[in-house]
Amino acid sequence: MCCSHQLSEKDLQPITAQAGWQENIKGMRFFDPHVHMTARTTDDYQAMADAGVVAIIEPAFWLGQPRTGVDTFRDYYASLVGWERFRSSQFGIKHYCTIGLNSKEANNEKLAEQVMEILPLFIYKEGVVGIGEIGFDDQTALEEKYYRAQLELAKEANLPVQIHTPHRDKKKGTQRSMDIAIEHGLDPAMVIVDHNNEETVKEVLDRGFWAAFTIYPFTKMGNERMVEVVKQYGSKGIMINSAADWGISDPLAVPKTAALMKAHNISIQDIELVTYQNAITAFAQSGQIDVADFDAVKNIDQSLDYNGSRVLRGGQQPRIAKDSIFIR
Amino acid sequence: MGKEFVYDQGAFRSLLEDLLFTYASEQGKQWLDGKLGQYAAQFVKSQFNATFSAIPRFVGKQVITLSTQEAEKLDALVPGFSALPLSIDRLARTWWILQVPTNNEDQYITTIEPLFLAAEMNELVTLYRALPLLAFPSHWTHLTSEGIRSNIASVQDAVMLQNPYPASYLNENAWNQLVLKAIFTNKPVHQIIGLDERANASLALVLSDYAHERWAAGRTVDPMLWRLVGPFINEKNLPDITRVLQAENNVEREAAALACAAADYPPAKTLLQQSNLAQAVENGSLTWNTVASRLI
Repeated sequence: MCCSHQLSEKDLQPITAQAGWQENIKGMRFFDPHVHMTARTTDDYQAMADAGVVAIIEPAFWLGQPRTGVDTFRDYYASLVGWERFRSSQFGIKHYCTIGLNSKEANNEKLAEQVMEILPLFIYKEGVVGIGEIGFDDQTALEEKYYRAQLELAKEANLPVQIHTPHRDKKKGTQRSMDIAIEHGLDPAMVIVDHNNEETVKEVLDRGFWAAFTIYPFTKMGNERMVEVVKQYGSKGIMINSAADWGISDPLAVPKTAALMKAHNISIQDIELVTYQNAITAFAQSGQIDVADFDAVKNIDQSLDYNGSRVLRGGQQPRIAKDSIFIR
Repeated sequence: MGKEFVYDQGAFRSLLEDLLFTYASEQGKQWLDGKLGQYAAQFVKSQFNATFSAIPRFVGKQVITLSTQEAEKLDALVPGFSALPLSIDRLARTWWILQVPTNNEDQYITTIEPLFLAAEMNELVTLYRALPLLAFPSHWTHLTSEGIRSNIASVQDAVMLQNPYPASYLNENAWNQLVLKAIFTNKPVHQIIGLDERANASLALVLSDYAHERWAAGRTVDPMLWRLVGPFINEKNLPDITRVLQAENNVEREAAALACAAADYPPAKTLLQQSNLAQAVENGSLTWNTVASRLI
């Protein structure tokens, strides 16, 4: 999802890192409510854990390659509540997910119908904290049809909704997404509108929806802009995420932005709300988030130990020396 | 395919009901009761599936510590059932799948099998722990092999450890895969039910190859591996046992001594007699259980 802008010579040069940002946020905990770990490596999990990310939400999304059958959807959803959840636990990070039919693939009507049929199998599962990410991409009639159908599903299951807002014609797409949610009788406090920018944030907050910002290079928000947004709008109703996926993105976007906010003298309370607590408050309305689990997953070795035996010792991943030439 | 349960299904179900009555909240019990009522009135598969998934939302997921008496009663009916951590959702889900009628084999299988395909981690653990409780037992071998292939540690444990199903129903190849994978993933192998009964020559052969690979890589070998080689010691693998009997590590030497004691091959017996562990094996102060307790 990157690189739609014109590249200049400057973009191709190595970027000098601002060293030491991690010192700035030592001891803080972060919650990244939108990150597609399926597309990421174990190095990312380790780096996130080191930077203080304690829990994440992985929304169901488009995999880059359109799916052609309902079974691949089912396997994907099953992996979000199965394999990926386990993989995450090995790094001491609590993994939640949202389940839904993404807007792009809603345009394949025959398949979309089949996917709608299997969604109820997954939305009641443990650790499913919402319906998402759903909404508009090209803003077609079929996208609207399945967006509406999934809003009904969320209402019935009493689950929060995580809305993806379109890249193109964003402002109108965002307004329309909110209008339709209201039309279906959803409480704005149960709806997280994602991928906001300076143009959309005011209306989203004014109407009582949660405003999520994706810190993602080139196509979404940069974190210097984010600092300005928080200076202007405060921390109420605002959360940030990385939406890191298979494109050029950054799974450390949340802790990095926290560090930058701190460097710009934004208060610790505001930083905590934007990078941790607001996302928990919003998605815990699913009844599926218990912050005690953030610590439990860190102690997977001990907590799953049973009567002193090795049974169920899930096993945190051993560390490897990344800069060593030896691989053992 | 036989449909009979190989255990006293009625007794087990009522025992589960007693435990749910003891450990579930009033609210949880009412919710389950309501679901059972709906289910009895009319079977709707999507309702059955949703209830199975939603159980932790309404019944909770706290870990239960059974009394010794309760654990013994469960294990008397289905060996090993109480051995892995037990939670209220696992009890309730197990009870829920035992409600499925068994008068139509096809319907039974097409109700239970999709639960595996769409399961999250804890559901998979519950389902695999329930393998010995399912009707039409010989049907579930394929799914059992899938569980052994899993890379999720808790799922592997559920299939491999303290579970009587695999030893009773897997063919030799599938069984050998289970044992190999268990050793490969550092499981407490002595907790595999049927380990000695199903030991076989081809498994012993693969395991000594595996030990050689580990040695070549400069890695350690689980001493419990030699328990499976012992009854099949021959002139080909005797040098391996000789090597382990001279290992620096006590527990490795003990494992080699016990392996020799289990051998039919006379030179292995001689080897044991020459070692200073012969007496401990003889008088029963050294057993596989003592080796296992040292490995933990």
